[in-house]
Amino acid sequence: MPVILVLDDSATMVMSLSHILKGAGYEVEVGMNGREGITRISEGVKPSVILTDLNMPELDGIGFIKEARKIGSTKFTPIIVLTTESGGRKRDEARAAGASGWLTKPAEPNQLLAVVKQLCPAK
Amino acid sequence: MSVTKEANEHLVCAILAEQVAALRDRMDASAAFDLLWRTTALLSWLSGLLAENQRHGGQSNPVFERERAEAIVQVAAIRTELDELAFVQAQRQDFARQIADCIVTALERMAVAEMPRGTSFSSGDLAALYVSEDQRKLHDSVLRRLTRG
Repeated sequence: MPVILVLDDSATMVMSLSHILKGAGYEVEVGMNGREGITRISEGVKPSVILTDLNMPELDGIGFIKEARKIGSTKFTPIIVLTTESGGRKRDEARAAGASGWLTKPAEPNQLLAVVKQLCPAK
Repeated sequence: MSVTKEANEHLVCAILAEQVAALRDRMDASAAFDLLWRTTALLSWLSGLLAENQRHGGQSNPVFERERAEAIVQVAAIRTELDELAFVQAQRQDFARQIADCIVTALERMAVAEMPRGTSFSSGDLAALYVSEDQRKLHDSVLRRLTRG
């Protein structure tokens, strides 16, 4: 089963994303900030897609993307930013850091799953 | 500004920060979302049971067959709608919590009495706390309105 790594500092958002993704046939690993995301990867989690928020404590989304791109196993893993930010400047910053795509909250489950399925079909 | 007035403003900011923090903490709706997700999981299970029953039932009661088929369609439809509702509401609630958090942080900083001489909490400092373009647009529109005349 493909693994999706979900990073968000909101417990409700983590639960919500996990519910939607598990229902669509994905295995879900979670972290409450970018630092926890890097820890999961260091522990051996090999995500097929990473979904990350931008505004998180300790290590934010941009910082996480930069660090994840330095790690061999996630150098080319698709990273989708899911955030309340819709501004061009933030989007450019995320893209420059290595983000593959962008979804603005509130997104609908179908929008989210369409993007994830395009990058990694559930088995 | 007199020391007394300044101290009073810091006190008001500190109290407002606590009030908004309490409001933010009351925004937690995890129990409601959990119930919604459990409901959709139950509906999914029921839908599976009905479909399985349809495959293996072999009953030839046409009324029952029709109602079972209709129930499968309706259970799937309501499950999808509940999933969508829970997901979108969770995001909106999180957004509201983040906006409240931003106000708490601003008020807490304004409540600090001993800021270095010549410094204060500016509108630029406030803008740096924003988490969305909508907040920045609102900020700009207020600045334009207040500086027009």
